[in-house]
Amino acid sequence: MRTTDSLRRSGATYLEQHHKRPTPSALVNLRRRAGATLLLIALAASACSPTFDGPLPDAPTPVSQTEFDGLVAAGAPAVVNVWASWCLPCRSEAPLIATGSLVHPNVEFIGLNVRDSDANARVFMAKYLSDADMVHLSDASGRIPIDLGGGSGVPMTFFYAADGTLAATHRGIIDEPTLARFLDEIDR
Amino acid sequence: MEFTLLGSAAVAIGSFWLIIRWEAKRGNAAGCAVDIWDAGLAAVIGGVLVGRLVSMISAGISPFSDPGQILLVRSGVSTVGATIGAIAVYVFVTRRDLASGLDAIAPAALAGLAGWHAGCLVTNSCLGAESTLPWAMTLDGSAVTRHPVELYAAILLAVAAVLIARWKERGRPPEFAPAATALLAAGGTRLVTEPMRISLSGGPVWFYGAGCVVGTAILMWSLRRSRN
Repeated sequence: MRTTDSLRRSGATYLEQHHKRPTPSALVNLRRRAGATLLLIALAASACSPTFDGPLPDAPTPVSQTEFDGLVAAGAPAVVNVWASWCLPCRSEAPLIATGSLVHPNVEFIGLNVRDSDANARVFMAKYLSDADMVHLSDASGRIPIDLGGGSGVPMTFFYAADGTLAATHRGIIDEPTLARFLDEIDR
Repeated sequence: MEFTLLGSAAVAIGSFWLIIRWEAKRGNAAGCAVDIWDAGLAAVIGGVLVGRLVSMISAGISPFSDPGQILLVRSGVSTVGATIGAIAVYVFVTRRDLASGLDAIAPAALAGLAGWHAGCLVTNSCLGAESTLPWAMTLDGSAVTRHPVELYAAILLAVAAVLIARWKERGRPPEFAPAATALLAAGGTRLVTEPMRISLSGGPVWFYGAGCVVGTAILMWSLRRSRN
């Protein structure tokens, strides 16, 4: 049997091995890491500025429900992407929507900007949708997607068949396979 | 809804967990399985983050200007980036014993991939190109029948996972052979199913082909080395 002294000694050895106090160099390393992390956060925060230096496109055209219904019933398949400049997921899916508009020239792509300011919408269009082949409309009240049964969330995407019927509604961010599949459904 | 991705991820992690447990009961020591589980989980998380970063950068979105978007994995994860990221993290975590680590995780990784593809049932995104086969499926309100291509991939990967696990249990394969076979199976599954998928830009077929070539080369080398 181990004596109390030997147990104490082994306990002390264990503590020495596993619970060392941090050395001065370890503290310096910790400070360096903390400083580097703060610098990285500051850089990311400064890069988050919403400004844009290049030329800005025209602001989205205000549209009423009746005008909107006329546009999507025009005889060509259409995709209506509901977006807002304050919506982070919209930024993420914008390049995909732009690619879709270029790959499917027979489909009319309409961007519906909701509950947004013209200034912010123009910056968003310049930064994320400058390559897209699409027209942009504005619905300041955000009523149109609600009246279509989609709800008030953004982003949201409506797919219209060539006969003007609403073929599908996708709520939330859309991914490439889903967008490609719905486009394949309406563009035939 | 972007949160349906969590359902797909849950299916993948569940499949991964099941095959790890199954392997632990049939040969691999339980302690080893626990370590492999940790390493695999770290690799999955690292792979998804790297894949998301690559997807953002390739779409022209700076991770510095929109850091919050790194978490929006639903809007796109680069397969190439995710695979390289997962392998890098896994190698970093298990670098002390690379061969046995890779061989141990091989069937579980395939099971996880199978679960990920089967998660299309949760996200309602199983369908691919048009098909007239009897088991073809349709989107809601559509008259077009389509290949359930994600289910094809899930079945192929699940079969490969079970075959490799059984091989390890009964045949005692040489070092790196199960990992190489898993790489070959993963690349081959994507190559076979790619023509039945619909995409806007086309998948990275060269990457899946490279996976098959590298997997085959390592498998041949491993088998030849074990004979000598």
